[in-house]
This record gives sequence, structure tokens and C-alpha cells, in this order.
Amino acid sequence: MLTIGLGHYLTVSAILFVLGVLGIFLNRKNVIVILMSIELLLLSVNLNMVAFSAALQDLTGQVFALFILTVAAAEAAIGLAIVVIYFRNRGSIEVEDISTLKG
Amino acid sequence: MYVGAVFFPLLGACISGFFGRWIGDKAAQWASVICMALAAICGVSAFIQVAYGHAPATLEIATWLDVGGLQLSWALRYDTLAAVMVGMVTVASTMIHLYSVGYMSHDPTQPRFFAYLSLFTFMMLMLVTADNLLQLFFGWEGIGLASYLLIGYWYEKESANRAAMKAFIVNRVGDLFFMLGMGLTFWTFGSIEFNTIFQGVEAARQVTFAGFPVVEVIALLFFLGAMGKSAQIGLHTWLPDAMEGPTPVSALIHAATLVTAGVFLMARMSPVVEYAPNVLGFITFIGATTAFFAASVGMVQNDIKRVIAYSTCSQLGYMFFAIGVGAYQAAVFHLFTHAFFKALLFLSAGSVIHAMSDEQDIRKMGGIWKKIPVTYAMFWIGSLALAGVPYFAGYYSKDFVLEAAYAGHGWTAKYAFLMGIVAAFMTAFYSWRLIILTFHGTPRADHHTMEHVHESPAVMLIPLFGLAVGALFAGAYFSGDFVGHHWAEFWNGSIVNAPHNHIMHEAHEVPSWVPLAPTVVGVAGIVLAYVLYMFLPHLPGRIAAAVPGLYRFLLNKWYFDELYDRAIVQPLRRLAVQLWKVGDVKIIDGMPNGAASLTAQASGRVVRFQTGRVANYAFAMIIGLVLFVSIFLFGVGR
Amino acid sequence: MNWTLVLPELVLALAGLAALVAGVLPKRDTSFAINMGVFGAMLLAAVLVMAQPEGTAFAGQYVSDAFTRFMKLLVLAGAALGLLVAMDWNVKEGLAKFEFPLLLLFSSLGMMVMVSANDLIALYLGLELLSLSLYVIAAFNRDSERSAEAGLKYFILGSLASGLLLYGASLIYGFAGSTNFDRIADAVSATEGVPFGLVVGLVFVLAALAFKVSAVPFHMWTPDVYEGAPTPVTAFFASAPKVAAIALLTRVAAGPFGELVEQWQQVLILASLGSMILGALAAIGQKNIKRLMAYSSIGHIGYALMGLAVGSDLGIRGLLLYMAIYLFTNVGAFAVLVAMRRNGRALEGIDDLAGLGRTDPAMALAMTVFMLSMAGIPPLAGFFGKLYVFLAAVYGGYWTLAVVGVLTSAVSAYYYLRVIKVMYFDAGEALDARPTSLSVVLAGTGLFTVFFFAFPAPFLAAAQAAVAALVG
Repeated sequence: MLTIGLGHYLTVSAILFVLGVLGIFLNRKNVIVILMSIELLLLSVNLNMVAFSAALQDLTGQVFALFILTVAAAEAAIGLAIVVIYFRNRGSIEVEDISTLKG
Repeated sequence: MYVGAVFFPLLGACISGFFGRWIGDKAAQWASVICMALAAICGVSAFIQVAYGHAPATLEIATWLDVGGLQLSWALRYDTLAAVMVGMVTVASTMIHLYSVGYMSHDPTQPRFFAYLSLFTFMMLMLVTADNLLQLFFGWEGIGLASYLLIGYWYEKESANRAAMKAFIVNRVGDLFFMLGMGLTFWTFGSIEFNTIFQGVEAARQVTFAGFPVVEVIALLFFLGAMGKSAQIGLHTWLPDAMEGPTPVSALIHAATLVTAGVFLMARMSPVVEYAPNVLGFITFIGATTAFFAASVGMVQNDIKRVIAYSTCSQLGYMFFAIGVGAYQAAVFHLFTHAFFKALLFLSAGSVIHAMSDEQDIRKMGGIWKKIPVTYAMFWIGSLALAGVPYFAGYYSKDFVLEAAYAGHGWTAKYAFLMGIVAAFMTAFYSWRLIILTFHGTPRADHHTMEHVHESPAVMLIPLFGLAVGALFAGAYFSGDFVGHHWAEFWNGSIVNAPHNHIMHEAHEVPSWVPLAPTVVGVAGIVLAYVLYMFLPHLPGRIAAAVPGLYRFLLNKWYFDELYDRAIVQPLRRLAVQLWKVGDVKIIDGMPNGAASLTAQASGRVVRFQTGRVANYAFAMIIGLVLFVSIFLFGVGR
Repeated sequence: MNWTLVLPELVLALAGLAALVAGVLPKRDTSFAINMGVFGAMLLAAVLVMAQPEGTAFAGQYVSDAFTRFMKLLVLAGAALGLLVAMDWNVKEGLAKFEFPLLLLFSSLGMMVMVSANDLIALYLGLELLSLSLYVIAAFNRDSERSAEAGLKYFILGSLASGLLLYGASLIYGFAGSTNFDRIADAVSATEGVPFGLVVGLVFVLAALAFKVSAVPFHMWTPDVYEGAPTPVTAFFASAPKVAAIALLTRVAAGPFGELVEQWQQVLILASLGSMILGALAAIGQKNIKRLMAYSSIGHIGYALMGLAVGSDLGIRGLLLYMAIYLFTNVGAFAVLVAMRRNGRALEGIDDLAGLGRTDPAMALAMTVFMLSMAGIPPLAGFFGKLYVFLAAVYGGYWTLAVVGVLTSAVSAYYYLRVIKVMYFDAGEALDARPTSLSVVLAGTGLFTVFFFAFPAPFLAAAQAAVAALVG
């Protein structure tokens, strides 16, 4: 019987993190997908925090995770708001289009 | 008094700079002139007290940095060397301020001019009274900045603009070395205060830096810094172009002050430089070459101010090889007398230009000596002093420099002596060529200009008289103290000759033909100029036609600007295109237009990564992260 | 619980809440009153910071010492100046909404928390409060495509950086067993060697902070966001948040991870070199002056990081002074950019400064002073900033850093001089009259820049005390 230990949690969260990062720069379609990837990053961190918290028998990690959840909500709200005004000005949320400022 | 000599010019600059608009042109002018005059009074009395009263003083004004490894105070160091410079600078600057009142009378923004002029003087005084390298650097950069402002004073002129840029950028190249020298000094001595440095020289002689004795490296870096400021061969290209500024500026910057900063620096650092024999040899070589090079170019130039500019360059070469053979006193003496007669020459030239309705080309002058007799006489006095004709100021200093070169050791000293004699001949030649072409012969200017030729107003002539007195008597009066038998008590330890260096004695014991030689070649040069330009005026053209290669070579200033373009700018341009990294071609090229496209290209490559796409940015961040992690793990670069 | 320790932050927070309420009251125009109120709150907070006692609060989460005092005063000064610079501009652009000062206020609060953070949680909360406010004000000009794009870019990349920070923080927490800086320091100096995970965590945190200070290779967002955001917002971006992020970076590197100095040093040296070189080269060909200032600020961060990379007390002191001088010079230069407006339209091209030397000599003189100071030309303040870090580098034997620093500052002098050249030597039309608030900012920062050389002693003493408090 396989016991699931700290290492497994860390591996899963590392995979999630890498997926999130890849989602940000491999994605060519849609800004909303980027917002989702950012959420994925934060959730992988939460998983890490909770796993460490359990392993260390220490509550700090879980408190930190709660803070992260709260801030992530605010961040998502602000992100969506910015996407909305961008769409209003530009009429598109294609990632490729966000490149008028350069040089 | 000590403080006044330095700060009155600043006061003058502030008054005419900040309040010039409210108090009016006249008031602003006279305010700065009066401040300068007060500074001169203070400066001269400080000179008398320090040099003749043997009372060197260090005045602390404020604590500047007082923490950690650095303890510096902002202090005025008045020893003989500084006092000589302060006296000379304040007096010359006062004359030039006064002269400017007349010369700039038609200018629309006079307060600005006087503010710059006074600011420049203040910075120069900061430099010479510095108590540590940082303060010296302060003045060093300050005069660079002020000269940038002054050369580009007529900013409507594209050429003035360009010349100002060029001067600034070439000087920055020199400053780079100065900064590195300062850094190395700090590393070696743990301080940049002169007293501490000078006391630590003995210990530092054992230290090596990258395999070389550290003292040599420091001396070399400072000399390279000085080369930029003092327009030695290689970094001289800015000086002739700097003639774009108003004439009083040329007199102030290119005669009395800015260009002598390099000489002053070497004299100030004499306790260190003394122990760098190889660098001294190098200095001698560069100085002698400059003296010869600039004099040869001066023989064929046609712009009245450029001829004098090249002569300045050449005289600076004399000063440097005097330093190279260890006769710092002689260098400072020549600097001192040179300030008077060169300022006199420049101001007289300004007076000529003023009279000729802003014409500067000597081919379009001639036949005006009867109309401006005073200027003419002044020009004669300046030229006689410059050529080293006996009993004029230049005679004493130049003779002694050459005697020291003769008495010096090593092949560089012999080379310097030879070059010095040849350059003395050429100096006399081009000075009289200038006089004859400018004042004698048939008038070559158009009728309209000739009608307007007039003697300058008294406010311009009085400074000329003042400087003429200096050019006549400064040499005779001071030679006993500066380089004669009383030199040891006069300098009072402010310039140090190492125990093995007896140049000051040996120079007095050279064979009797040596002191005669400069006079003889000088007179010969004058005679030749008379023959060629006064009595056989068609001959020079034929000579030029007979050796067209040499003539063009000289006329194009030994092709230095072109050489730079070919040897440095263009290969670098190719290199830059290949490496797309070299942004500093700008600096070496020095000209805004030439390399504009290139630098835009180089930086275009750099900013090509800035695609504007978020995905690429995120990717760059991740790459950076990976880089950071690998540095931590594998210790790259450790 | 020592409440007086967090009094300045409490004042700011309460003022923010009060302003929120005042903003939604059904009155016609409250923006000016709120501007003034926020300005007053910042000044009050600054006074309180000076009177702040030293110690720790909230179970070691929060620390107050000479270092935090120095940095908080800088941050508040930067924010207050940023507000002054923005007020007139916002009115003219039709952006005079009460949210603007409010967002500045909350970002200042976030920065103060960052500066005082002694725990990863406090660090994160402060940083996010700052970042979230910045995302919004970058996109503050809602009807401008460029402003929206700047906000969106900054948001995406900033969130990625937050993700890196958090991931690093989680690793540090896991391997050190605590989020408190003092406990982490204990774990790092433990005898049995530093755990691998802790080191990786540190790298992630450093990378995220490097993003905030926009050091190479995490600088990519800077030029785009600086160009797109409204000019006064850019002015704010380039000043106070940079100082706060540098403070945080210094605290993290020199505090809990002080024992690992030899390892993070390598990273910082690389970042410093890269920033200096990129800042010097990339700015040369720019035509938009905001973009030029963006690259210039990347370069300046390179010089500042040099002080930290050297890893000595002398270096950190140089860094603090550099940031102080940079802050004021930068705000001054941006005040000129904000004043660039002709016939009611805001301008951003370098060419638009043409002729300023004749049409507005006072402003041209001020801009000249700022540009020369940034180029590091004595006797202006910028020269001293560079001097302190260069000397620290030389003193520590880091010749590469010092030499590259001197070289790049010579190269960058070129584009600063170009701005001066355009102002004095090119012909151009007059700009609109500049408002009084900008004149005040210009005069203040200009005088500071020019006369710093005459009275550096108090700044030096304050920086010295700050370093002593930090390194202990």
C-alpha cells in the first residue's frame, strides 16, 4: 500500500506550478486563459503551504494559505476589470494583440 | 582672504546668473567683474603671504564625508603651488572679465555669459585649492562642464554646438582614466587625501597591481586623464575646434586655466609621479611629440585663433616634457608665464577680430597695423614672449625647460630637447607669419570691412596693458624664485623631487650654448618669417606647391581627425555591426551625426527583444529564473 | 501589543477608509478635497514615522528601526510628490477622480508594510497591496488603449512574479519551518548546512523582487508599462515603489539570508551588470521620453544593486543614498515630463522638448540639472550616489562592477546630453504654462539635486544609522 507523503504533495504542486507557468507563455489565444493560469499558480502554492503545514505540525502555513486565497480573489477581480476595459478599448482579448507597446 | 579668493567668483556667478534678468545687463556685468577683482586682490595677497611669507595653510570649510572608510573634508589647501595658481587664475580671469565687458557688448544675453565665466573661474579655483582628489575631481569636472557651456555659448551656430560636444566627450574619455586612477589610489592608500597619499608613497612602492608597480599604474592613469584636459597628442582634437567659443573664452580656457589643469595635476601629484620612472619617460615622449606636432601644424593654419590654439597645444607639450624630466617647477613656471602672454595674444586676436567685423581668416586681413596700433603693439609683446626672445617672460621659462630637458636622463629627454629646439624655431616662425599676414602687406579685406577697422575701446585695452606687463616682466621678476637659486624655499615642499632627482641643480650647469640655442633658433624663425612673408611674399605659395604632400599633411593637422575616423571609428563600426553591442562608438567618434545611425542600430538590436508580447516577457522571466537557479547550484562565475 | 509602533500605518489606513466614504458621498466634486486630505495624511504619517519607537510588533511580524524609518520617509516623500505632480494633470485630462489619490494612499500603505515586514506573510500582504493598487492606476486612463494595455501587461507579469514569490515563500517556509525572518535566519545559520529547498526558495523570492525593482532579466515590463501608463502614474512608478522594493530586497538579502551572502551575491552581480549595460544601450535610440526614462531607471537600478551586490556595510549605505538621490532627481525629471503639454495636449516625444531653453529657461535649467545629475556629473547629487556605490565596489575589490559602472555611465551620459541638446539647440514652440504645483516640485527637487553636495552629512548619518540597524 502506497502511503502518500510530503514528497507526493510537493510533486503535484510543482507540476501544477509548471503547468501554470507554461499556460502563461505558451498560450496564444486568450487572456482569460492567462487569468486561469495565474489562479493555478496560486493554488499550487496553497497546496504546498498546506502540505508543509501538516508536515511541520505548524499552523502558520494554513494561515498563509487563507491569506493567499483572499488576495487571489481580489487579484482575480482586478484582473478581470482590467481585461474588461482593455476589451472595451480594443475589441479583442487575443494575447497576440496585446503588443502595441514595444521597442 | 583665502576663502574670498575662491568664493567671490561664485558670488559673482550667482548674482549675474540668477538675478541678471532683474538687475539688468550692466549691473550683472559689473557685479561679476567687481567680484572677480575682489577675488584677484585676495588671490594675490594670498600668493604673497603663502609663497613669500612661507605660511602654507589649510582651511577647512565643511566636513564632507565622515563615515566608514572615507573621511574627507572640504578644505582649501594653500601651499605655494596652489597659491601660484590662485594668484595667476584670479588675475588673468579678472583681466578677461574686464575685457569681455567690451567684447561682448553687442551680445543679447550678457548676464548668462558672465555667469558662466565666473562659474568657470570658481571651478578652476576649487580645483587648484583642492585638499583631496575628490575635491580636485569636482573642479575638474566643473571646469569641463563650464567649458562645455562656454564653447557652445553661441548655440545658434551648429559648429559651436558640435565643438562643445566634442570637447565634452573627449574630456570624458580623459576623465574616465582620472576616475580609475582615483579608484586605484583609494585602493592603494586607503584614502584620497593628499597628505595621507604623500605619506604612504614609500610603502606603496612595494605594492603591485596586476603585475605592475602600483605607483606606475596610478601615475599613468592620472597622466592619461591629464592628456584629455591638457590636449596632448591623441586627445588634442577638441582644442582647435573649441575656438568656436567667444574669444575671451578662448583666452580664459585655452590659455590661462582649463588646459593647464593637467599640468597642475601632475605637479600636485609629484610625490607619487616621481617614483614612476617609466611613466615619466612616457610623459616626456608625449609632451615632446605634442610640442613638435602642434607647432608644425600651427605653421600652415589660416584661422587667427587656430594658430594660437595650436601654439597653446605646443606650449603645453613643453610643460609636459618638463614634468617628464622631473622639473615640475619649470613646468609650473612656464605655465605661469604662458598664462600671461597667451591670454594677451588671445585678447589681442579678439581685438583684431572685433576690428575686422568678426573676420578670423588671416588671408583676408593685412595692412591694418596703422589703424590699430595699440593692438599691434600688444600682439608684438605677446609674440616676443611666446617666441622666447630674451628678457620677455617666455624667455626665462622656456629656456629653463629646455635646459632641464638637456640635463635630463634617458633618450626621451634628449628627444625632448631636440623636439623642443625645433618647435621653438617653428613657434617663432608661425608667430611672425601671423603678425605679418594679419597686420602688414596690402589689405585683403573688402572695402566695407576696411572702413570699419577701429581701435577697441579702453575697457578692452586696459586688460591688454595689464597682461602685457605680465608678459614683459613676469619672467624676469619671478625666475629667481620659481626656478632660480631660491626655488627650494619658494616651493617650500609643495612640489617634491625625489632624493635621486637633481634636475634643478643640473639644469643650471648645462654647457653655455644650451641657453643660447632657443634664442638663436627663435631669431632665425623670425627672420625666416620676415623673408618669406614680408620681402618675398610669393615664395610661400611656391614652397607649398613644391611639397604639396607635406603641406597638405600639415594643413590637415597630420590627418588626426581622419586617422581617428579610419583607425578607430570605422573598424569599430564594422565590429559593432557584428557584435551589435558596442554602443560607445558614439563616444569615440564623438560626433553626433556620424554615428547616430550606427548607435541607433546597436540599441535597436538590444531593444529587439522588447517585442511587446506578454508571452515573450514571461518566457524571459522564466529563463532568468532558471539562470538564477543554475548560478546558485553550480556557482557559475565564482 | 505595542500599537504605537504601527501608528503611521494606522493613520494611513484610517484616512484611506475615511476617504472612501467621503468619495461616495453624493456631493458633486470631492476629488480636490480628497487629494488634499490624502496629502495631509501622508505628511502626518511622515511626522509619525519620525517619532516612531523602535521594536517589533504583532509577534515579530513587524519591525521598526532606523532602516525602516529611512525608507518609509523616502516612500512617503515619493508618494506625496507623486500626488502633487499628478493633481493638475488629472484635471486637464479629465481624470480627476477621487480614486486616484486613494490608490496612491493604499499603495503607500502597502509599501510601508513591505518596508517594515519581518515575516513572509507581512511581506506578501504589503507587496500585494502595493501591486494591486499599481495595476489599477496603470490602467487608470480607462479610455486609452495604451493605458489599458499597460495595465494588462503589468497585471499579467506582476501576477506571475507574485506566483514566483509565493512559491519561493512556501519552499522557505517548508524547509526553514517558519515564516519569521529571525527564525529563518536561525535555520540558515544552522550548522548542518543549508537545505537545498531553502536555497531554491530564496532564488524564487529574489527573482520576484528583481521583477519589482525591474532589474535585468526581469525588466521587460518596465518600458512598455512606463510608456503606456499616464505620465504622472509613470512618475510614481519610477519613484516610491522602486525604493520600497529595494528596501524589501535589501531586508531579505541582508537579514534572514545574510549568511548566504556569497551565493546571492553572484545573482545580484549579474543582475546589476545586465541592468547597467541594458540601461545604457537600449535608451540611446528612443524617441519617446517616457520610454527613455524607463531604460534609464533600469540602469539606475543596476547602479543601486551594485551596492547590495558588494555585500558590505559600505555598499548598502551607498545603495540607500543612491535610492534617496534617485528618488528626488527622478521625480523632478518626471515633473518636467508632466508639464509637457501644448495646446492642451500632452506630449511624450523627446523632440517635443525642442526650444525649451528659450521658451521656458527655468524649466529647461531644471531639466538640465536632473539630466546631468542622472548622468553622474559633479557636483550634482547623482554624482555622489554613483561615487558611494563605486567606492564601495572598489573597496570590496569588485573591479568588474566598478569599471562597467564607469563605462556605462559614460555611455548613458550621451542620451542624457541629447535631451539637453534638444532643449537648447533645436527650435520649437512654447509649451503651455506650467501649473504652480509642478513649479514647486521642480524647485524643491532641483535645489536638492544642486545643493546636495553642500550638506550631505545628515543624509549620510541617517543612512549609516539605517545600515547599522539592518546589519546589527
